[in-house]
Amino acid sequence: MQIDSTAVVDTLTQAYSDVWAGQESLQEANAFIAFMYSNDLIYVVLGVTLIIWSVLLFFMIRVDKKVASLEEKLNSEEQ
Amino acid sequence: MKVWKYIVAIWLTLVIGGGFLIYIPEIPILEQTARNIFFHVPMWMAMYAMFLTSCIYSIRYLNSPEPIFDIKAEASARVGMMFGLCGLLTGSLWARFTWGTWWTFAEPKMNLAALAMMIYVAYLVLRSAFDDEDKRAKIAAVYNIFAVTTIPFLLYVVPRQLTSLHPGADGNPAFSEITAAELRLILYPAMLGFIALSFWVYDIMHRYQSVRYKINPEQES
Repeated sequence: MQIDSTAVVDTLTQAYSDVWAGQESLQEANAFIAFMYSNDLIYVVLGVTLIIWSVLLFFMIRVDKKVASLEEKLNSEEQ
Repeated sequence: MKVWKYIVAIWLTLVIGGGFLIYIPEIPILEQTARNIFFHVPMWMAMYAMFLTSCIYSIRYLNSPEPIFDIKAEASARVGMMFGLCGLLTGSLWARFTWGTWWTFAEPKMNLAALAMMIYVAYLVLRSAFDDEDKRAKIAAVYNIFAVTTIPFLLYVVPRQLTSLHPGADGNPAFSEITAAELRLILYPAMLGFIALSFWVYDIMHRYQSVRYKINPEQES
């Protein structure tokens, strides 16, 4: 429980200092973060590409299924 | 959804992963952008596959004038153009950082590829010019068969007569050794995967158009 959070936590000087508080040094980072930093950050590009690809795939599968249900509806109406 | 679509989804995911992760030989100027070959070149292969499909359905339409053949011809031409546009845009970005310019008129393949796209834009414009459905389908089919015959000339025959910045574009290098063996390991599966992807998009496209046609045959596509 934080009782007097504004007095205890000095967010301003830390947030605007030269070192970003969220920036971990490579030694203390976990294995995943260390892996993403390796090889000139190429894995970040791979990650971005895979995110785009999976969202695109998800969208295409949805549209495909929607068209299929429309076709079914039309065919059952014809009979 | 049919099984082959899930296979394409997994296949292309592996291709993208492999394209980033495999070791590639050091190639001067290109450096890591050599990996672009896995994504830029298959765009054109997918475009060829779609334009060929489009041509086949145009011929089938002229043989027996059924609306579904016209719908399929139009859908595949549109999907082919989408992949062609991806090829042009990715090529332009790649050119900026290897040839030093977004666009150059010294490069025949680049300009003729853009011209090929314009020929297919004309196909869509031509379609929009007719109100009569049968007339539109018939004339568009005839034009489409003409359009596809220009593709090998614009993208292979003519560029080979001129000097080109594209590796292996001049002379007669078909299946020569200029592409490193490691690159081919991903390049060929990528071509196959993106061609299959183009058929998937085309499948959705022509089914959507057929449903629209069934609901309202008069509506222009």
